[in-house]
Amino acid sequence: MEPIIFTSGLRKIYRIGKVEVPALRGVDLVVPEGEFVAIAGPSGCGKSTLLHVLGGLTPPTSGKVLVDGNDFSSMSDGDRTRFRRHKIGFVFQRFNLLPTLTAGNNIAIAQHIQGNGFNPHRFKAIVEMLGIQDKMNHKPYALSGGEQQRVAIARAVICEPKILLADEPTGNLDSENSQIVLNMLRGLNRSFRQTILMITHNPDAAAVADRVLRMRDGRMLLD
Amino acid sequence: MDTKMVISNLLHRPARTIISILAVALEVVMVLLVVGICTGMLSETAKRVEGLGADIVVQPPGASFLIGVTNAPMPIKIGDLLEEKVPHLLHVMPVLILMNTSGGVNNVFGINQDQFDEVTGGFVFHSGGWFTGHDDIIVDDLYAKAGHLSLGQRLTLFSHSFRIVGIVEHGKGGRLFIPMQTAEELNGTQDKATIFFIKCTDPGYTDEVISGIRRELPGYPVRSIAEFTSLYTSNNLPQLNKFMSALISVAVAIGFLVTFLSMYTTITERTREIGILKSLGASRTYIMEVILREAGILCVMGIVAGEVGTVVVRRLSETYFPTLYVLLTPQWGLYAALLALAGALLGAAYPALRAASLDPVDALAYE
Repeated sequence: MEPIIFTSGLRKIYRIGKVEVPALRGVDLVVPEGEFVAIAGPSGCGKSTLLHVLGGLTPPTSGKVLVDGNDFSSMSDGDRTRFRRHKIGFVFQRFNLLPTLTAGNNIAIAQHIQGNGFNPHRFKAIVEMLGIQDKMNHKPYALSGGEQQRVAIARAVICEPKILLADEPTGNLDSENSQIVLNMLRGLNRSFRQTILMITHNPDAAAVADRVLRMRDGRMLLD
Repeated sequence: MDTKMVISNLLHRPARTIISILAVALEVVMVLLVVGICTGMLSETAKRVEGLGADIVVQPPGASFLIGVTNAPMPIKIGDLLEEKVPHLLHVMPVLILMNTSGGVNNVFGINQDQFDEVTGGFVFHSGGWFTGHDDIIVDDLYAKAGHLSLGQRLTLFSHSFRIVGIVEHGKGGRLFIPMQTAEELNGTQDKATIFFIKCTDPGYTDEVISGIRRELPGYPVRSIAEFTSLYTSNNLPQLNKFMSALISVAVAIGFLVTFLSMYTTITERTREIGILKSLGASRTYIMEVILREAGILCVMGIVAGEVGTVVVRRLSETYFPTLYVLLTPQWGLYAALLALAGALLGAAYPALRAASLDPVDALAYE
């Protein structure tokens, strides 16, 4: 079976004025469908950049990037956006909920942007699974960090993405809420065979994954 | 869903929302008042000329259709000649019009009571009556209301003190009426008229009488009342059109600039939210639509406030400036709305494009 994520010689160089900053220096990565992979590494090693490239938020500078069979290196911004809309879910360290919308509308907007309309059954199933059904009319400022992150997870999975990309999902949470969120992610992986790629610098968080990869200086370290 | 998001965004910053709405409202009020006052003054003057009840107007050669602008070169005897020679002509009313510029610009009609009554059917007096003396003056009710004038009060025009002897219903040519003889003395002319208003035996004979008058007075502008009053449009005053266009442009520019600033500030403040939407897969078009929708909703609310505000201003104007007629038409109500909408959408276009072009990674990292 084809891996859902495949990169070979992936490079990403940021140009800041006349200075070139190589964030990824040839990353080779293979993730089979349904696997929960954690990528650990120190700050500045390129973890977030790798996630951004795999999520189509930024194009690779060179190298091969195949996500669910789609070659990101040859896709336009519009094509990557369309792909991301249907196939990718993001969870961020800072939750990144829209502050003016309620929790319920924060989740619903993902379905709206996807263009398949509001699916009330899936909506109900997801919010109940995440235990946030009583928080739907609350704005983000009225939710705890753990609740906000669960709303963010709901938003990320409501459209049944092929891949869930989590960027330090427990980075802003206390240990109790971190464990709750990690258990949610584990549950999604186990129950729905959701492919999850999680970056973290917390070894305890990385331990819930099927496999832990390490990065340093823009490269994947050999196991 | 988009509208929900837009409305919640607008409610999130109430002060900015209100100011943006007020700016658009101000733009609409400005457009409608400028057009309303300019066309209103012309329209109201035309109505007053119509209100005399005459069928035909005769002016001296080269005269402007703006009565009162021209001096008085026509001998009053022309009236007698026309009454004698032109069939189906019933009565002629000569009027000597003096333009008063002190305390406002007003046309003062110098008239003879008999001829005035014959052509117009006479005044409807609210109080007082006709001239009895050389220094008597009759004013219309709107002029009296505007100047808080009453019977017996003195009024100085042309450095001459007049006594108000009558207050009449508005709509009969001018707002101020003095004896013809007094007007002649003030004008330094004798037996001269600025304009003749003519009544036919039957309005059906108007064209025939016009032909007859033209035979007797070749080269004199002779028009039916309908044709004469149709000249009272801004199209016949190119400078007025330019003035209106200039002020309308300023108004639209205000709306454009305020919307531009408001939306630019909005996208700067909401850079991270735009990044979030992009991470969810929102396209550039979607982002632009959201921004333009927000500007559109602000604009629509501003238009409604502006249209209502204009009606309120007109009501206030009727109370405090009764001689200032503001003409509001549905056509210009629509034009003002469309101009405001166009200005707002143009103003939001650049911020919308900028928001759509934001790099999602940079936007997500924005503090």
